[in-house]
Amino acid sequence: MDKLMTVRCGGFSRRINLSTLLRLVLALALTLLVILCSLSLGKVNLSPLAVLRILFSSADPSLTFIVEQLRFPRIFLAALVGAALSVSGLILQSIIRNPLASPDLLGITSGASAAAVLYLSFFSVALGQQFLPVAAMLGAGLATLAIYLLAWKQGASPLRLVLIGVGVSAMLTACTTFILVFSPLTTTLSAYVWLTGSVYGASWPEPLALGGWLLGICPLLVLLARQVMVQQLDDSLAQGIGVRVQWLRAGLLLVSVALAGAAIAWGGAIAFVGLIAPHIAKRLIGPGFGGQAAMAALIGATLVMLADLAGRTLFLPLDLPAGIFVAVLGTPFFLYLLIKQRH
Amino acid sequence: MKSEIRHQPSRRTLLRLSLGLLAFRLCTPAWAQPGAAPLRVITLFQGATDSAVALGVTPCGIVDSWSEKPTYRYLRTALEHVPHVGLETQPSLEDIVLLKPDVIIASRFRHQRIAPLLKQIAPVVMLDEVFEFKETLLQMGVALHRQQMAVALLEQWQRRVAQLRAQLQRTFAGHWPPTVAVLEIREDHVRSHLPASFAGSVLNELGFSWNVASQAASGASLKITSKESLPVVNADIFFVFMRADSQAVQQNYDSLLRHPLWQQMRAPQRQQVWQVDGVPWSMSGGIMGANLMLDDIARLAAADSIS
Amino acid sequence: MSNGLKLGCAALALLLCSLLSLAVGATWIPLSQVAAAFVHPDASSISHVLVTSTRLSRTLMAIAVGASLAVAGALMQALTRNPLASPGLFGINAGASFFIILFSSVFSLSSADAWLWCAFIGAAVAGCLVWLIGNMGQGSLNPLRIVLAGAAIAALFSAFSQALLVVNQDGLDTVLFWLAGSLSERSLSVAAPLLVCSLFALLGTLLLAGQLNVLNAGEEIATGLGQRTGLIRIAMSVLIVCLAGSAVALAGSIGFVGLLVPHMVRKGLSIDHRWLLPGCALTGAVLLLLADTLARVVMLPQEVPVGVMTALFGAPFFIILARRGGRHG
Repeated sequence: MDKLMTVRCGGFSRRINLSTLLRLVLALALTLLVILCSLSLGKVNLSPLAVLRILFSSADPSLTFIVEQLRFPRIFLAALVGAALSVSGLILQSIIRNPLASPDLLGITSGASAAAVLYLSFFSVALGQQFLPVAAMLGAGLATLAIYLLAWKQGASPLRLVLIGVGVSAMLTACTTFILVFSPLTTTLSAYVWLTGSVYGASWPEPLALGGWLLGICPLLVLLARQVMVQQLDDSLAQGIGVRVQWLRAGLLLVSVALAGAAIAWGGAIAFVGLIAPHIAKRLIGPGFGGQAAMAALIGATLVMLADLAGRTLFLPLDLPAGIFVAVLGTPFFLYLLIKQRH
Repeated sequence: MKSEIRHQPSRRTLLRLSLGLLAFRLCTPAWAQPGAAPLRVITLFQGATDSAVALGVTPCGIVDSWSEKPTYRYLRTALEHVPHVGLETQPSLEDIVLLKPDVIIASRFRHQRIAPLLKQIAPVVMLDEVFEFKETLLQMGVALHRQQMAVALLEQWQRRVAQLRAQLQRTFAGHWPPTVAVLEIREDHVRSHLPASFAGSVLNELGFSWNVASQAASGASLKITSKESLPVVNADIFFVFMRADSQAVQQNYDSLLRHPLWQQMRAPQRQQVWQVDGVPWSMSGGIMGANLMLDDIARLAAADSIS
Repeated sequence: MSNGLKLGCAALALLLCSLLSLAVGATWIPLSQVAAAFVHPDASSISHVLVTSTRLSRTLMAIAVGASLAVAGALMQALTRNPLASPGLFGINAGASFFIILFSSVFSLSSADAWLWCAFIGAAVAGCLVWLIGNMGQGSLNPLRIVLAGAAIAALFSAFSQALLVVNQDGLDTVLFWLAGSLSERSLSVAAPLLVCSLFALLGTLLLAGQLNVLNAGEEIATGLGQRTGLIRIAMSVLIVCLAGSAVALAGSIGFVGLLVPHMVRKGLSIDHRWLLPGCALTGAVLLLLADTLARVVMLPQEVPVGVMTALFGAPFFIILARRGGRHG
């Protein structure tokens, strides 16, 4: 039997599973360790102690700049992007009721990509790069809205959502390709890096903006979190116990899109995180959305940070996009999942 | 601006110089006294590297070239021991910091995203485009305290252009100005460089004209994927260069030469198809590359005046 | 109208579209000239040369690719008993692109022949991978699982392709047009081996058509009637890889033809594979010819990639299909 602990605070009480808590703490420790490693490695390899010294007291200005202005914002952004994408994937997998669902499959990524490429080709010269995240989020939102409306036929069933998602994705990818083919080559290059997913060149305003957005979504997530598990039941059964299924599904989809859209807007179209991290989380932690979401966020953050570290250090002086290594790390695991899946 | 013919070079140069000074002041803080120790400069795009070498300055860090990696052949001896800081599209910021530069030359076109970070490392001269070689040269002249040298180089350029133009007018007397087309041969298609491109701007200065289709098109180049569309680039003179040294490109060019639509265009019929080096014509973006272009065109003028 | 008559009409439509494709282009060549180019070829006339070289190779390839894709789609739908199967959704396109990019950037193979064979091998590898994963593991072939697995494999390969393109930026532009699906600039001599392969594969499917009907009736019925289902399945898979692989190698990533044409033909003609497969071949060829002709003239003098055209027109159809078919969801 699991040990449970009750937390009381005024009128609020909650039962927390001790083993879950322990695992989460361990995961958090691992994440912090990865952060420290990422801060230490790069063109200049510093020892972790040196990094701590730089962060908490002053040191050589060049090294301080490298750690505080170059590496830290980038790592922080990678972590936030990974966390947002994995929680988004977790929610989607419960909505679609299929463990192979992810933001990439539902048109979110392709909508954001099409909007971003459109922006880079036509508007970035005039407006500058700072509105790129806005364009990407708009694209993701519109694409998902279109998919939802098209899938609506007295309710949006998971199967229809996926199928129409695949169709809309294909159309948006065709649009993206069309724009890429006809834009000047120079735009194509930067667009391609964006499409692969990269946190190169991130400076502090970026992770702070993304962090702000994610904090804004949190309340909605917490509100809906309690009912996520009910989602996984059959529609008629869920309605039987009084859950307003369609509203819940729409709300969860909104949260998922907001999370993934924001992550893609700032980190580019990183694929696979939303697919893999929730699965790892589910294997490490038992049922219960809160625990799973927290674990998924930590795993996702670690995954993207490691991928960015690999891209930054393995092929010096080239700086490869993090998205590549997420795919490289993700493939064996994904294949394993597919083969093991019982359905 | 590009279609205007330079009637009064010195006044225009002065205007550009003062604009360059103004722009420089706006984007960098007050500078150290001129005549101080040589500046450590990092150039983050090809045109800037080319201009630095032209001004006699060896950068302390450069980016990789597009082809003939890691440095173009025509710059290799001048830049022999200079460390590289990565790709033009994604320079390695850590390398840049560790080189402790005094000034960084970047382009808004490529480096807008990392501009805030660059500004924290060193003063940045941010040019708008990567292929406007005169603007690049002037602004770099100011930044590196070689204004007089920059002006001298540009005056020399104007003289060369005027001289070559006169020579071309004599060679093509009777049907001046001839129309030109600049064709880049790739593995599976042909790219026509338009008047707004680097090569196009130099050809405009020399007084060449363009066919109707090229004038009407927008952008810097046109992709011709089907041989049926070849007549779009029909002109009196062709400047042709290969994208790479590969077999596929050569095969594509050979199949082009055999095609009747190519053979019935004006330039092939008049033996006015000139093969030139792709690096100065499309990939250098600097004053030295532009001068190499003039060398190629001078070859044409000399050969044609003999025949 | 009997099925035979309908097939005849489709064949006639094919002929007309071929003539259209030969006539339309940067310059309109009147049909009389087109006919003359074949009957009394005149080497000095530009129109004749165009018709017999550039446009003829394009038309033939459009027919071959369109037919191959449509028949491969029909076979796939029969194999997986899933009406939403198609070569594109199974990662074959992405696998072919990845191999081309891999070989041209890492091994510097850049001749047209090499690309063709790289693409073919890549398509085969991707197709086998998806099929293996779909069949391995517990549980039966669930429609959603196949679609998701195929889409995920496609995403995987395209992620790898993007990675290589980011590193080798020089090759990006050249490969990009091919990736989007393009029927231009393949000389018949280079493409001939793959065209022949397609032809043989198409004939092979016609031979198999009767067996497909039996297979479609259900596993138990088929084995009960004495059919060796395992062998038939392997034969179908080989044919699918040949057809889809050669289509992708010749023309790049063209989607939706393999998905939609079988549905259209099933509604309009018959679900009997002996009529369905020839019908698919003819209709697929007609559709791709029309798409290619349109792609050539919409944005003169530039060319829209054919794959973009089919996606832009095919995706809405697919969505309508998905809406109609999801009643049990």
